[in-house]
Amino acid sequence: MNEVDVRTVSLWILVGLLFVLHFVLHIGLSYGRGAPDLLTLGLLIAARETSLGRASVLGLTTGLLEDAMSVLAFGANSIAMTIVAAGGAITRDLFVGDSRHFLPAYVFMGKWTRDLVHWITMGREVRQPFVEQVVLQGAVGSLYVAGIALGMSWLLGAWGDV
Amino acid sequence: MPFYGSEPESGSPGRDLTLTAFVLLFAFGTVYLPSTTQERISSALQVSALRPFIAMQGLLTDVGARRVRVEALQVTVDSLSAAMSTHQAVADENETLRDLLELQERAGATYRPATIHRPGTPGSESTFLVDVGTRDGIRAGAPVVSPTGLVGVIRETRTANSSGIDWTHPDFRPSAMLADGSAYGLIESRRGSFREEDRLVINGIPFHEPFDSGQAVLTSGLGGIFPRGIPIGTVLGVAEAEGTWRKAYYLEPIAEPAAATHVLVLVSDSGDDASQVWAQDTVGVIAPGGDNR
Repeated sequence: MNEVDVRTVSLWILVGLLFVLHFVLHIGLSYGRGAPDLLTLGLLIAARETSLGRASVLGLTTGLLEDAMSVLAFGANSIAMTIVAAGGAITRDLFVGDSRHFLPAYVFMGKWTRDLVHWITMGREVRQPFVEQVVLQGAVGSLYVAGIALGMSWLLGAWGDV
Repeated sequence: MPFYGSEPESGSPGRDLTLTAFVLLFAFGTVYLPSTTQERISSALQVSALRPFIAMQGLLTDVGARRVRVEALQVTVDSLSAAMSTHQAVADENETLRDLLELQERAGATYRPATIHRPGTPGSESTFLVDVGTRDGIRAGAPVVSPTGLVGVIRETRTANSSGIDWTHPDFRPSAMLADGSAYGLIESRRGSFREEDRLVINGIPFHEPFDSGQAVLTSGLGGIFPRGIPIGTVLGVAEAEGTWRKAYYLEPIAEPAAATHVLVLVSDSGDDASQVWAQDTVGVIAPGGDNR
C-alpha cells in the first residue's frame, strides 16, 4: 500500500472509532449532552473522503441509527445527517482544506447545520425554543465538537510528522 | 496539514446526484412513515447495530444496582458487627455476674453485691466507688472481692455509696500467707514507671522460708480487716532480699482491678474465715499465667 492508501485506511478506521465511541458514550454510558457528538464529527470527516452519493447513504445510515433511539422525532436525524453528509461532500469541491483553521470551522458549521436542520424537522410538539436549542445549545455543542476536531487534528498531525 | 486526504474518490456526478436525491427523499420519507413501521425500523436497529451499546447500558445499570446492594449489605454487616460486639460485652458481664452469684451462694449473706464506678479524673487512679453504703451494712475497711479474689478495700462509707482503693494503691497493705499457712508476710503495691508496670509484692518473708513460683497467696486474717483465705495472687519470684533475714517476692495478682465491674463487698457481721468460699474453685487452680480475670 502506498502512503495515500495507508492514510485513507487510517482515516476510515478513525471514523469507525468515532462512530463506536459516540454510541458508547451516548447509549452505553448514558452521558447524554455531556458527551460530544462524535457521530457528526465522523460523518463530516468521512464526507470529504467519499463521493456525494456514498456520503448521503452514510448520512442516512447514521441518522437512522440515531433515530432508532428517538421515539418522538423519528426521521429528523436521518434528514439532518443526510443533508450534512451531502453538504460535507460538496465542500470538497469548494474548499481544498489545507489550512489548519479549516477543519474546526468546517466541523463547527457542519455540527451547527445538523442541529438547525434537526430542530426544523423534528416537529413543533417536541422541539425546544429556537434560541435555547439551536443558538445556545447548538453553538456550545458545535464548539465542543470543533475543539475535539482541532485537538484530534493536532494529535494526528504530530503523529504523522514523527 | 489536515489529517484527511486531499484526493477523495469520486464517482459519476450524475449518478451521485441521483443517489443523493433518492437518499434525501428516503430521509424525508422516514418522517411520514406509519408509526408501526418507524417502530419496526427502530426495533430492528436496536437488536442489531445498537445491541452492544444497549447491552452495555444494561450491564452498567446492573453494576450500579449491585453496588447499591453491596453498600446496603455493608451497612447490615456493620450493624450486625456492632450488635455482636455489644453482645460479647453483655455475655462477659453475664458470666461475671453468674460467678458472683455462685460466690455469694457459698459466702452466704455476709457479702453484698455492688457495681464499681471509676471516677476517671486526674488523681483518682487506684480508687473506685461502689453503689452500696452504710445502709447496706458496709463499713470502712471492708474487703472488696471478685469471683477470682481480692480486688481492694473500702476506705470511706456514705449512706448510699462508698469509696475504696484497689490493690494498685500504695496504701493497700493486707496481711497475707501462703495457701498452706506455712509463711506470712505483708502485701504492698510497688509503683512502676507506668501504671502497667505496677507490681504486687509480699514483703517480710523470713529469708530461709522456701517460696516456690506458682504458690497461692491468700489473706491471712491477721489484723482483723480481711477475713482469712481470700486469694490475692501467686508467687512469681524474688523481688529483693535484705541481708540474710528478709525477702520480698513479686506476686501475679489474681484480680484485675480495671476489669472488675461487679464485685461483692463484705458486710460488718461476716465471719473471720472466708477460705471455704474460694477454696474449691480458685485457690486450687491458681497457676502462673492462668486466667486472672
